Amino acid sequence: MPNILVCYKWVLDEQDIKVRPEDLGLDTSRAKGKISDFDRNAIEAASLLVEAQGGDVEALSFGTQALKLSVKDVLSRGPGRLTWIGDPAAETADAFVVAQVLAAAIRRAGPYDLILCGEGSSDMFFQQTPVRLAALLGLPCVTFVQKMTWADGVLTATRKLPDGTEEVRVAGPAVVSVLGEMNKPRIPSLKQVLGASKKPSRELPLASLGLAPGDLEPRAVRRTPKGFLMNRRNIVYKESDPAENVARLVASLKAEGL
Amino acid sequence: MAGIFVFSEDPALTRQLLTPGLELKRALAQPLVALTRSSAEAGALAGLGADRVVLLRGAGAPEALAPAVAALASAASVVLVGGTLRGKHLAAHVAATLGAGLSTDARTLRVAEGRLETTRILYGGLAVGEESLALPAVATVPPRTFPAPAPAGAAVPVETLDVAPDARVEVLSTQPAAGEGVDIGAATRLVAVGRGFNARADLDLAVDLAGALQAELACTRGIAEDEHWLPVERYIGISGQTVKPELYVAAGLSGQVQHMVGCREAKVIVAINKDERAPIFEAADFGIVGDLYTVLPLLTAALKD
Ligand SMILES: Cc1cc2nc3c(=O)[nH]c(=O)nc-3n(C[C@H](O)[C@H](O)[C@H](O)COP(=O)(O)OP(=O)(O)OC[C@H]3O[C@@H](n4cnc5c(N)ncnc54)[C@H](O)[C@@H]3O)c2cc1C
Repeated sequence: MPNILVCYKWVLDEQDIKVRPEDLGLDTSRAKGKISDFDRNAIEAASLLVEAQGGDVEALSFGTQALKLSVKDVLSRGPGRLTWIGDPAAETADAFVVAQVLAAAIRRAGPYDLILCGEGSSDMFFQQTPVRLAALLGLPCVTFVQKMTWADGVLTATRKLPDGTEEVRVAGPAVVSVLGEMNKPRIPSLKQVLGASKKPSRELPLASLGLAPGDLEPRAVRRTPKGFLMNRRNIVYKESDPAENVARLVASLKAEGL
Repeated sequence: MAGIFVFSEDPALTRQLLTPGLELKRALAQPLVALTRSSAEAGALAGLGADRVVLLRGAGAPEALAPAVAALASAASVVLVGGTLRGKHLAAHVAATLGAGLSTDARTLRVAEGRLETTRILYGGLAVGEESLALPAVATVPPRTFPAPAPAGAAVPVETLDVAPDARVEVLSTQPAAGEGVDIGAATRLVAVGRGFNARADLDLAVDLAGALQAELACTRGIAEDEHWLPVERYIGISGQTVKPELYVAAGLSGQVQHMVGCREAKVIVAINKDERAPIFEAADFGIVGDLYTVLPLLTAALKD
């Protein structure tokens, strides 16, 4: 019966981010928050595992105070409790800082048999947190996992490789990063959503983790990103007669020499 | 020892890493050290401008060498790692051990004011961001970002080092992908399919269109990774293939940025989607709003005329 920790990041939904044509700045004013896509797969994987064979799932996140918005969503997806660290330092944190913070929180609350993360967050996609966590905690790490089983304290997992897959085995505790194809994250039922508000969640102040100032100093500093603008012709045929649309498209392609 | 270290388990990628490595060597006036696992490759690297070539001897998965690479590069200024899945794992471990920053999938690299400056893609391809990293710094570089350098000067001798891999993760078996070895990147025309197709058999509609256009078939991540209707080497996007065809016909796919980042350099993009508000229309030169089950057969027939 594994004791599982699952880490997640609360990110802006990239579908709501618009590129300002004037200066290629990013307009995030209408962007809603979401649990980063692959972290949803990690949460689902953890929840399925304990629903099948018992055990506990705890969720952990480091972010700004906006994390508060995620509490219900996360807890309705299966985890039994949540620990979160909301601090403005998350705004400029790089993967080095994120790993320091999460590792410090894990050292206080652990040990866990399995620590699950997504393959990478859908905003920054650093793909570093699970491996860094493992290195800081002195645990083995299995990345890019498509399938996994847990029995008698041993994890058996199928990893993705560029040209195939690999089956590996590791005794827990271990850190695992999961891929999007691992499962289909649930859409929480009304019962699960209502149940979520009864589950415990606690906020840990960053200052309580005993980190040195250097641990909170990003090694990689980000500059303001510039949006990529698609410069396309956007000629759309939308008559009610499909044959008419097709004829126009074929004429356009001919005119392009295609 | 200070220096710029490069490593990839993929020999072609190790050679490509020498190109930015040589730039950093000039900028930092430090030696360039190439690490490799392949004895056949070590000789080739020795003549490509590296100051040292170290052949790492030791069994185990490439990423299991991370502790050994971190120890070897403990005083490095910059460590460049080939951005494969295994390489990313190894690089993150090395960065954690060195207490260093790591730029993932760096597209450009330069040194300015004693820091490593990189550019990389954010928000799935929506934006490009710059990162400025304190030294020591680690970066992963995607395959084919740089060409291999030309042979330069006398070949340096190859050193051999026995390294102990992290043995905690035991590899039980390896299964090669049932790929077809098709090179989507070389196709001049592509017909890409997405979740607008209801069943695998319906892909025949796209196959027929591809036949009429003399195009190859491509797809979105979901079609390859979730449905397994097409092999993974045919999916386009940030985590899949990057292509630059003359014509890209996107049928029944929504055009999310993570997909479009892989095909946005196509010369002409055509969209067929029943939802007028699908983002693909903003990314397309020509589009038809309509049901692909009606449009594709008509288009195939019209092209055959
Ligand atoms: C970090 C990250 C990395 C990712 N990497 C990639 C990647 O590399 N490649 C990739 O492809 N995706 C990637 N994705 C997923 C990506 O965000 C999209 O979810 C995916 O591309 C959407 O696939 P789709 O267009 O097939 O499906 P959907 O988004 O479901 O679109 C289906 C479309 O078909 C249309 N449609 C439905 N029925 C019909 C019909 N009968 N006729 C015409 N049109 C119809 C619908 O209107 C809809 O627009 C990634 C996501 C994340 C978070």
